[in-house]
Formats: sequence, C-alpha cells, structure tokens
Amino acid sequence: MKDAKASAGPVIEFRSVAKAFGGKPVLKDLSLAVGRGEVMFIIGTSGVGKSVTIKHLIGLLRVDAGEIWFDGQRIDQLDERGFYPVRRRVGMVFQNATLFDSMTLTENVALPLRKLGGLRMKAALEQARVRLGEVHLTEFADRYPAELSDGMRKRAAIARTLATDPEVVLFDEPTTGLDPVSARRIDRLIRELADHRGATAIVVSHDLTSIFTIADRIAFVYQGGIRALGTPAELQASPDEVVQQFIRGKSSGPMETPGF
Amino acid sequence: MSRRGEGGRIAGLFEGAGAAAINVAREAGGMVMLLGSVLRALVPPSMDGRELVRNLHKMGNRSVPIVALTAFFAGALMTIQSAPFVQRLGATSLAGWAAGYAVLREIGPILIALMFSGRVGANNTAELGTMTVTEQLDGLRALAIDPVRYLIVPRVVAMIVMLVALTAIGDLVALLGGAALGKAALGIEWTTMYHSFADNLGPQDFLQGIWKSLAFGGAIAITSCHFGTTVRGGAVGVGRAVNAQVVASAVSIMLLDFFLTYMNI
Repeated sequence: MKDAKASAGPVIEFRSVAKAFGGKPVLKDLSLAVGRGEVMFIIGTSGVGKSVTIKHLIGLLRVDAGEIWFDGQRIDQLDERGFYPVRRRVGMVFQNATLFDSMTLTENVALPLRKLGGLRMKAALEQARVRLGEVHLTEFADRYPAELSDGMRKRAAIARTLATDPEVVLFDEPTTGLDPVSARRIDRLIRELADHRGATAIVVSHDLTSIFTIADRIAFVYQGGIRALGTPAELQASPDEVVQQFIRGKSSGPMETPGF
Repeated sequence: MSRRGEGGRIAGLFEGAGAAAINVAREAGGMVMLLGSVLRALVPPSMDGRELVRNLHKMGNRSVPIVALTAFFAGALMTIQSAPFVQRLGATSLAGWAAGYAVLREIGPILIALMFSGRVGANNTAELGTMTVTEQLDGLRALAIDPVRYLIVPRVVAMIVMLVALTAIGDLVALLGGAALGKAALGIEWTTMYHSFADNLGPQDFLQGIWKSLAFGGAIAITSCHFGTTVRGGAVGVGRAVNAQVVASAVSIMLLDFFLTYMNI
C-alpha cells in the first residue's frame, strides 16, 4: 500500500532549502519528499527549524535558497496572491491555535466555510457545529476561545482547519501542553485523517508517544538539514548516536543543542 | 581627542538623523503600500459585510457620547471666546457666526478627529497588533482568507464613514452648545442665535469640515491599521505601536488640515 502511494510521486518536496533569520542560518540544506496520504513527522530539538520548514509550504515564510514543490508545481516563487490557491489545499493548525478572540468557537469554524465554502451564515454555523462535534466540543460551541483550556482551543483549531477538507494538513506541535488522553485523541484524529479521508499530514512534534504510534515516516531535523529519515522501526534501529539520544530523551550525548 | 570626539559626535548626530529619516520613510512606505492594497480591494468592492457592520457599530455608534460631549463644550467655548467682542460691539446677531464659523471649518473636525483617533484608532491598533503577535493574522492567511479584504478594508471604510457621520453630528451638537452658552451667559435668545447661524453660515462652511473629516478618517484608518499589522515583539511591541499610531495620526491630521485649508477645499 505504501509503495503504491510512493510510486505516485511525492505530493510535497523540499529541495535543498535554506533559510536564515538576521544572518543566523536555521535551515542550511534541507531536502525532504512527502508522499500522498502519508503521515510524516518532523522531529528535532526546539529551535532547530521544524516550524520554519512547514511555514514555507503555505508562504508564511520565504526560502532564501532551494525549491519547494507541491503536487507537481513549484511554489516557492509564488507571490502572496499566488499562494491563496495553495492555502485552499494545504491547511495548517498552529501551535498556539490562533483562533479569533472576537468569535465563538462555532463562528471560528464557520468562517472558512463561509468564505471559502460559499455557505450562507446559517448553513455555515450548522456545519460548524457538526465539525466541533467531531472533536467533542459541542457543549462549548458558543464559548469564546479565552474561556477555554489550551487543549480545547487546539481541538477547535483542528476543526476549523479541517472544515474545508484540505488535501494536506500541517500540524505544528498538536499535542504539546495537552493531557495524555487529549493528546492520544488528537493522534487518532490525525491517523484517521490519512486512513479515511486520504489526506496527507505533516506533523511537527516532540511527543515521542505520538511519533512512534501514528507516524508512517519520521524526518529528524538536525543542524539545518534532515539527519535521519525512515519508518519508526528504522529510526529506533538507527546506529546514529544523535538520533538515539533524541528518541531516548537522554540529557547527555553527542547531540549539540545551541543555547542549552 | 577632542577633535576626534567632536567628529564622532557630529557623525553620531548625522547617523541618528539618518536612522530616523529611514524609519519615517519605511513607515510612510508601508502606509502607501497598505493604501494601495486597500484601494485594489475596493475596485470592485470586496469586503466582509458582517465585519463592516460590526465595525460601523463599534467605531461609530459607541463614539457618539464622547463626540457629543466634546462638541458641545467646543461650541460653548467658541461662544465664550467671542463673547467679549460681541458684547462690546453689541453685535449679538454675529455671535452665531463667530462660534459657528470656527466650529464647522476647524475646531469641530479637528477635535472630533483627535478624539476618534484616541478612542477608535488606538483601539484598532491594539486589536490588530494583538492579533498579529498571537499569529491570528497568519491564521487567516493560512485559511486562504486575505487579511486585507477581511479585516482591514471593513475597518478603513467604517472609520471613514463614521468619522464623517460623527463630524456632522458633532457640528450640530457644537452649534447647540454655542447657542446654549449664548443664552445662559450672554442672554442671547435662541431665535437670534438661530438666525445668526442661518444668515451667516453657508453649506460651504459645513462641507469644508466634512471634506476634512473624510481625509482625517482615511489618515487615522491607514495609520492605525499599518501600525497594528506591523507589530513586532509581543506586548511591548503592541504598546509601542499604539503610541506610534497616536502620534502619526495627530501629525497627519494637522498636516492634512493645513493643506486642505490652504488649498481652500
């Protein structure tokens, strides 16, 4: 099954991407291909450039060098307007949820349904309630984001991103700061997204349980590039000591962690 | 040492002036770019109706009390200022003209615009700034919703429409304030004051103030949206942006007022 997906060619491809902030290089030469319908985890220490990598896919950041391809189209050279068609197909759930403070959860989820799905307000609100039900938030549908916990906000943000059924969903640390039960529910949701809806998921995470439970493949980012790439089993069997130190969560070892 | 030190100080002065000039040019350039994006979104008009209505209500309706209060006392003050001359000359029929001319053409539009900038412009910068630092604007872009069309254009339109409407309301209240003070302090009858307004003030006096408020509304809208959407650096950045917006709006209002008055628009 995986081979069949792989043979269809990657849906997303980073080719030698480089990105620096204020003269400080974050990504130096990052190349990665993600297959259609795959759950790809991007892992690595804090500040290594995982979020930076995925933000390039929807044009929130621009590469300094290298190329990014999406479904056979080169997208790194698109301007802001050119990125809108890509953003309709590639959704992103941000680390901080980024729900709109001035709207209830239902209104938040209804917004893309109204603006992109072309629904009238009433139909969009009804549809939004259904979507919130899928992430077990029906009883909080009329609350404002500030009144809810981080976990609830994250689930609502997931419902909002998935409302328009994007083909690719980028998750930036979806389980960070959540209790274990909520975290595993989000894992299941991501897995179902790939298995039942055929969507591709790229997940930035340090959550080892998530990584080894639901990933098809894992890309380990280190020193501005991909240090290791493979299935969970392949990474666990990796002879690379840096990889081993990370996945075993050891405080001492060969891994360089700037600023710590 | 002193020669070198002096040279260094002079170089430092030039450096400081240059940096300030570059900063002003950068902000002005950003505002022009934003104005361009807003105009592009307005031809043909493409904005979120719900956001427009929400902002019209929030920015306009809720500003009426503070604007009315300011305008009433501005009108009353004009009458107080002109009272000695009116009384000395016994020209009570000119009392309305003296107060009304200044109110409609200058004091009304300027005071109301400054109040509006402080209440609505600062609020707008703080709200957009907080949305920027909490990535809500990026969240909109990620949902394939253009923040300019969804957030900025309704705010710009609402601010312009509402400042014009508030100025018109304020003008009326100011004239009322002038007449009330005239009656209370100078014993000028309401009818005398009314005729003084009606005989000496023309539509052009009222319209000059309205044109000015149109320009002031645009300036407050663009500066407040620009500083809000370019915030960097968390809560401190939001505070800095609000500060910059208040100063930039006030300066824009004064400059626009000067040029519009000079060109007699």
